[in-house]
Amino acid sequence: MISPRTLRNLRSELSRSLLAKLGIAILAVILFTAVFAPLLAPHDPTEQDLDNANIPPLGFTATENQTTSQMVDGEVQIVEEEVVVNTTVAHPLGTDSLGRDVLSRTMFGARTSLLVGLFGTSIAVVLGVTVGITAGYYGGRIDDALMRFADVMLAFPSLVLAIALIGLWGQASLRIPDPLVELGIASSEMPSDIVLPGTVIAVVALVNWVWFARVARGEALSVRDQEYVKAARSMGGSDLHVILRHVLPNSLTPILVLATIQVAAIILLESSLSFLGFSGAQLSWGFDIAQGRDYLSSSWWIATVPGLAIVAAVVGINLIGDWLRDALDPGIEGQGGAP
Amino acid sequence: MTDPLVTVDDLEKYYYENDTLLDRLTGAEREAVRAVDGVSFEVREGETLGVVGESGCGKSTLAETLMRLREPTGGSVTFDGDPVFDLSGTDMNAFRRRAQVMFQDPFSSLDPRMTAGEIITEPLAIHGVGTSGERRERAETLLDEVGLSADQIDRYPHEFSGGQRQRIGFARALAIDPEFIVLDEPVSALDVSVQAQVLNLLADMQAERDLTYLFIAHDLSVVRHISDRVAVMYLGEIVEIGPTEEIFEDPKHPYTKALLESVPRADTDERDRTVETIRGDVPSPRNPPSGCSFRTRCPELIQPPGLDLPQATFRGISEFRTRIENGDIDVDLRWEQVGDPDREDREAFVDSLREEAFDTELPDAEEETVSEAIRALADGDRETAAATLRERYRSPCEAIDPGLPAGEHPSACLLNEQPEDVETAREEWEADYEAPEAGASSR
Ligand code: SF4
Repeated sequence: MISPRTLRNLRSELSRSLLAKLGIAILAVILFTAVFAPLLAPHDPTEQDLDNANIPPLGFTATENQTTSQMVDGEVQIVEEEVVVNTTVAHPLGTDSLGRDVLSRTMFGARTSLLVGLFGTSIAVVLGVTVGITAGYYGGRIDDALMRFADVMLAFPSLVLAIALIGLWGQASLRIPDPLVELGIASSEMPSDIVLPGTVIAVVALVNWVWFARVARGEALSVRDQEYVKAARSMGGSDLHVILRHVLPNSLTPILVLATIQVAAIILLESSLSFLGFSGAQLSWGFDIAQGRDYLSSSWWIATVPGLAIVAAVVGINLIGDWLRDALDPGIEGQGGAP
Repeated sequence: MTDPLVTVDDLEKYYYENDTLLDRLTGAEREAVRAVDGVSFEVREGETLGVVGESGCGKSTLAETLMRLREPTGGSVTFDGDPVFDLSGTDMNAFRRRAQVMFQDPFSSLDPRMTAGEIITEPLAIHGVGTSGERRERAETLLDEVGLSADQIDRYPHEFSGGQRQRIGFARALAIDPEFIVLDEPVSALDVSVQAQVLNLLADMQAERDLTYLFIAHDLSVVRHISDRVAVMYLGEIVEIGPTEEIFEDPKHPYTKALLESVPRADTDERDRTVETIRGDVPSPRNPPSGCSFRTRCPELIQPPGLDLPQATFRGISEFRTRIENGDIDVDLRWEQVGDPDREDREAFVDSLREEAFDTELPDAEEETVSEAIRALADGDRETAAATLRERYRSPCEAIDPGLPAGEHPSACLLNEQPEDVETAREEWEADYEAPEAGASSR
């Protein structure tokens, strides 16, 4: 389905674009971190250490808010205690209010975000493309009905819809034993399960499939009028044959580009849900931001570090999306043609 | 004479506009677009029937309906004895194998994401013919046969030129050994030099494989060398059909004559041209003219009994009348040009419009009638203006719908031999002519 020419375009666009390389690098780092989190993380992300709570990142200064008042020359003076950290590298990005290592938490949080992003987008693509191509290819009443429904879905703010659905279904999640820990490659102190937040994945997919349906429908509408579709029908090709052999492959490029954008959107949505406490995830960037929110004035890093991770992931994925779009768009064969 | 392989009988394909649910709820009138309006002909085994017409005349819709890529709104098509529109299941499959189409557009007729080999073997794959290895071999043979080379089998369409793509499209049509191929403007998009090569290929393969062709084109010159017979289409109808040589040497229908005139021919001297070429646009198939559909552009429009004007004069007046009837004359604008905002100087208006519409003198009686019509127009009364002209210049061509009689070379024109019922209708009309009822001939 991917022609050598497409690959060539991807490669040449990549060598031309610095941003594309950057995007791939960012995503590669995040992916690597997520997969090997138990090996890379310095601490168990869930281990609490109240004696070492609220330690700032290495080299930063933190102001303790525990103020003492003193009487100096008959006036009350408020003395703030300054704590300078960090002489050891035990917590390079500091700890949160319960003394958990922020770096480790962020590394493990990447797993949740990427799992939700990947599975959520995949389900949304399958659902949206099926509906969209059916609507676009058959047109008429089927199209009207499906697309009206899609419009209604779009009319709801996605976060509200997501929260409503979670309220309806509860927070189911699947625990998968982490092979790195099971096989003894990583320290057994690390969390032994990867949590797959099932409800969240289903919800983000349901909230986002409409976009794919709309794009796929538009593509199917234009592809179905191509003469090669007419030709396939005149040879006796069934609808299924025409859809699978012609409509789908020729609709894929914009869907792929949209998918990269939607991965980023879905990661953001997952974070919002976790931040609001709806996802039930305990190891997630959004959850950590929510935790750190109360300490923003004193311990800014608790929320900022996972926040930066989200930004990095979204930027990286969007850069890759731009790369795909630039590489594949002029590559829609048939425009230029050979002399 | 060989047997017909394909018989088309009164085939009709209308599209309906304003036909959505909303339109029906609001009661908007549904409008029929008569793309194919009652077409009958047959394609004989082993022959090539050329179908020619300007774009929009319905020839492509005819091809697609005939192949049942669209459902007809009336009529029937018989393929080797089988009613095509009633086929289903294995019979339909058999039809889909025996009849193939080659499409016009070298760019959009080949899937850009498939290799030449995949494209050519697609019909075989659909019908489950052979193993994939056998199919590949077949594709290689076909590539050779259509003048490409077998080692191009893994190339993508964009790596080929327009002419080469059409060859691939033709190879695809040949792949499953059909008997009948509809060639839908197969060379229209190609350069003239390449056209000839592809046409030769089509002709060679036909001879080699005993193929029957329905060859659609918008240009008579293209079909001349490949067709045994030619059908000329205008506004969804066949206006003339006959053996190729007769069509070219002895065209009967004014439209065919005009088409031939517009084809530059080496053997015709400019001065020999007797027929003016056609002017004006093709009328919309939403609202075809009454009577003969060609009458709005016909150079030989028949004059009513008792009138004997020079043909150019009559035609000029008729065209002027069509403009009025269609509301193509902007009265407000004309008044502005006359420079009389109070609209009092009707004679200035008459002179101005008269000047613009006719570049020659008119006989006195006609001058009078035309001026009268224009005066009505100046008052903003388009109906009276049209009626004034209609009264005097009503042609039988707008009252009688000519038909296509039986025979080897019939034409749908009242100047030529017509079917019994049309002749009768015309006689009746002429008998009635002296006392025309008002509005009887509204367009
Ligand atoms: S019927 Fe009349 S209008 Fe039609 S082609 Fe013949 S002469 Fe022309």
